[in-house]
Amino acid sequence: MKSEISAFMDGELAGAELETVLGALREDGEALSAWRTYHLIGDALHGPAAPGGRCVARVLARLAQEPALIGTLPADIVPAQRPRWFVPSAIAASLSAVALVGWMVFAPRPTGTEVARVVEPVVIDTAKPAPKPALVRHPLSPSARDYLLAHQVYSPRNSLQGVAPYIRSVSAEAAGTP
Amino acid sequence: MRLAACAVALLTAAGWAQAQAPDTAQHSGEALEWLQRIYQATETLSYSGTFVYQQGNRSETSRITRRAGATGGIEKLEVLDGTPREILRTRDEVRCYLPESRTVKVDRRSDPGAFPTLLPARVSTLQQNYEISLGKTARIAGFECRAVVLTPKDDLRYGYALWADTRTAMLLRSQTFNRDGELVEQFSFAQLDIGSVPSRRLRPPPGTRDWRIEKAGVAPADLQGAGWRFGSELPGFRKLAEVRRVMGDAQPVGQVVYSDGMAAVSIFIEPLSARTEHARIGLSGMGAVNVYTRKVGTFLVTVVGEAPATSVQRIGNAVEYRPQ
Repeated sequence: MKSEISAFMDGELAGAELETVLGALREDGEALSAWRTYHLIGDALHGPAAPGGRCVARVLARLAQEPALIGTLPADIVPAQRPRWFVPSAIAASLSAVALVGWMVFAPRPTGTEVARVVEPVVIDTAKPAPKPALVRHPLSPSARDYLLAHQVYSPRNSLQGVAPYIRSVSAEAAGTP
Repeated sequence: MRLAACAVALLTAAGWAQAQAPDTAQHSGEALEWLQRIYQATETLSYSGTFVYQQGNRSETSRITRRAGATGGIEKLEVLDGTPREILRTRDEVRCYLPESRTVKVDRRSDPGAFPTLLPARVSTLQQNYEISLGKTARIAGFECRAVVLTPKDDLRYGYALWADTRTAMLLRSQTFNRDGELVEQFSFAQLDIGSVPSRRLRPPPGTRDWRIEKAGVAPADLQGAGWRFGSELPGFRKLAEVRRVMGDAQPVGQVVYSDGMAAVSIFIEPLSARTEHARIGLSGMGAVNVYTRKVGTFLVTVVGEAPATSVQRIGNAVEYRPQ
């Protein structure tokens, strides 16, 4: 069950597997304890910004309310097997790969001038794959409109149906209006 | 709300079957010709009408006015429900009028070809990723329409049914389906007049002169040169554009756009800032559009696309930062 819980935290489970883990977390004290331990490890690895115990409790409460939505995930979203993040060698590699770097801003192509540099150091963790969120789709955030507009400008749908697809960019829903 | 969404899905799964018309096994050549005619009609016709945008259990009504012209024409979209948002679009510029914030967002193309269009002659390249076939006929907003059906060859993209007027090839209805054949989004005219449109109907909305103007300031950029890697690209998607732009505050935002000719996916990259620190990490969306947001180092990566959530997420997870 522990490896399943880890896979669940990595967002890699779907269908029956996901149901099993959610069931275990609801009913099995040992499973819940493993879940908390992994989050503690995660907290230690990622620093104080990682979610604390209260957050975990809130997430669990929320999950308990939403079994149907999560249960309908298509089976093929589960990616190919890869090393779990709690494997000790992965932790060691992850820690050793922490690097301090600067950031080159997007340089304009033609001249290469105006290259700016952000001074604060950036911590890059190259060993650990990015955490995957559960594939539950939320409503658009209020800031989404800017992205939708910037994206729509390049959509090939414009040459198929003219200005009509721009309704997405100015939709009341894209502005977070109920 | 979930029940309502299910109801819409059930109702519209029938729509996909209806558009596909197995009884008329048409040559794909004829379907391709139809598709080319739709692109040409969009480019050359003048028209005005009312259309309904529908996604999930919600719909919004807008008025569309287009005046064709030698320089690409001018188009206006006016949202008729709620606050009167408007968009004016020419070949070189998009102006978005938002009364809630008294703002005009302006996106002007930085160089020729910056607003890529799919030319009718290149429509056949869509066959690499979609089976293109002719569907049934139906009457929509008083027009006899024929459906052109694009069935994706894999799970990375959506399917489409495009209903066009049999006489002018004007697109009356466009439907997007997921792989289960459920409707995820629909644009459909409720009323349409094809023919000349007076230019006075394409003026900017009155009383907007003192509104705040937000310019996108789009310029070419080299994100790969700055250390960004976009992983193995999705099969069938090729890079359309690589730019930087201003979004809200002064920080530049990088944008790379990939497309397969029908669907497009943008990757936005920006430093974490006051504006972005409350960004919703994870998956969000509306209709056929999915948005996937994650942090990479001290950057925010936002992937926006008219593609299934799994495709958008796959592109987002492949983004890496490896500075030299």
